[in-house]
Amino acid sequence: MNIDEIFDLTSFTIDREPHIVLDTEVCVGCDARGCTNSCPARCYTWNEEESKMTFVHDGCLECGTCYVVCGRKAFTRWRYPRGGFGVAYRMT
Amino acid sequence: MTRTYQAIVVGAGPAGSAAALTMARAGLDVALVERGSYPGEKNMFGGVLHRLPELEKFFPDFWNRAPLERHIVKKGVTFMTGDSSFNTTIEAGNFDKAPYNGYTIFRPRFDRWLAEEAVKAGATLITRACVDEVTLRDGKVTGVTILDRKGAMAAPVVIAADGVLSFTALKAGLRRPTFDPGQMAVGVKALLDLPSDAINDRFGLAREQGFANEFVGCTAGVRGGGFLYTNYDSLSVGLVFHLASLKESGKTPYDLLNAFLEQPQVAKMVRGGRLLEYSAHLIPEGGYDMIPELYGDGILVAGDAAALCNATGMNLEGINLATHSGILAGQAVVAAHAERDFSRRGLSLYKKLLDDSYVMKDLKQYRRAPKMLHNNRIYQEYPELACSVMEYLYKINGGPKENLSKLFLKAAKEKVGLKNLAADGFSAWRAL
Repeated sequence: MNIDEIFDLTSFTIDREPHIVLDTEVCVGCDARGCTNSCPARCYTWNEEESKMTFVHDGCLECGTCYVVCGRKAFTRWRYPRGGFGVAYRMT
Repeated sequence: MTRTYQAIVVGAGPAGSAAALTMARAGLDVALVERGSYPGEKNMFGGVLHRLPELEKFFPDFWNRAPLERHIVKKGVTFMTGDSSFNTTIEAGNFDKAPYNGYTIFRPRFDRWLAEEAVKAGATLITRACVDEVTLRDGKVTGVTILDRKGAMAAPVVIAADGVLSFTALKAGLRRPTFDPGQMAVGVKALLDLPSDAINDRFGLAREQGFANEFVGCTAGVRGGGFLYTNYDSLSVGLVFHLASLKESGKTPYDLLNAFLEQPQVAKMVRGGRLLEYSAHLIPEGGYDMIPELYGDGILVAGDAAALCNATGMNLEGINLATHSGILAGQAVVAAHAERDFSRRGLSLYKKLLDDSYVMKDLKQYRRAPKMLHNNRIYQEYPELACSVMEYLYKINGGPKENLSKLFLKAAKEKVGLKNLAADGFSAWRAL
């Protein structure tokens, strides 16, 4: 199985306004960065060269992993998307 | 403008819809608020719905009415290593007769059906509505507001059935502001398209019979396990990880899922399956010790929001506990309306009903299971032990056979150590 494909098969209605907002300054001081490997949707990427965390909310599965795994309280906002937006499971 | 109801239910999952159905059937004016475009749109689970005896009281022919995939007649556990596996299965004649013991289902269909039944009973379903704030007056919950919508919703009582992270319970002050990753698990699942004839041939099934198999030893040492469930013409295959262990491992859920699907024995089971959908969700696995405050002034908490999930290692039960708790919460609200008492004291009946039900009795009985399952040896060394002992047992190499118990002790000493074996055996015996 090509794992890159799995992310393309789930449907989303993407809101321009992100439902999760990260204070990436906090992430610079974190050496655990459990979000980068634990997030099942690959939303968090750490760039070692630039010492920078990137978060993209587009493919978020709204599972809640980052909310629990982050030990630094790096979120300035963590809520679910507005009604009608976000992930839309058809069969799961 | 504020619209007033006799009760507001936040979340149209199994707990919320069961609560709304119970209250609507008793004649209450109920609002059922759901953030998805339809109930079930946001909901994900492994795939097996255990029997719902309490819901069968509303629907005596549940299995003819609910949108179900297959009923489970065969259950299996597989102990797995890199390229070997040792399986045990039980197929019971009784599991092939109604009332069935469990089913595979799709949440977008099942949850939608249950919510529609609540609507048929008179509840008002409001979709695309993400609850924003919980309205409090003198410390009492009196309603909710909806994100990006004007106006408020008021009711003398709110049932928080908004899932594992329950921001409703948080804002009402009933759950702690942070979760312990040691009490949470994350599940990831691939849904694979496969013709029903192929499923029947491959897994030894007929008609709408289903197979549910759990796997241990397939998570590269991360605490967790795998599952494979047969839907009518698709397979649900996935992994569940203890969040603290996953975080620490540095491994990713999708790479581990990929490796699981490529394990030689699993690969044969899923062969030809076309990937349809990928999904993920948190599971409150901390058991009894994780349960938040279940009620307060003007509020009750049910389902995953109340961490009512029983992970014993053999079974992972959630929706049956959620549905049952929703029905009991609904009953407590009906009683509160009769008494016109929505105070913490008036709503305490809910806790009493829960304590008297299998929900709390099971969670109490298996209280030690989550801790017992925090033993890394279960996920690597023991599956290896099972596979290697079985392999030796059948292996013919031209020499004389070793004594079986000696063989086992030798392998156990090598893989886990005899002291650990005794300690783990004792801990499992106490927990289960």
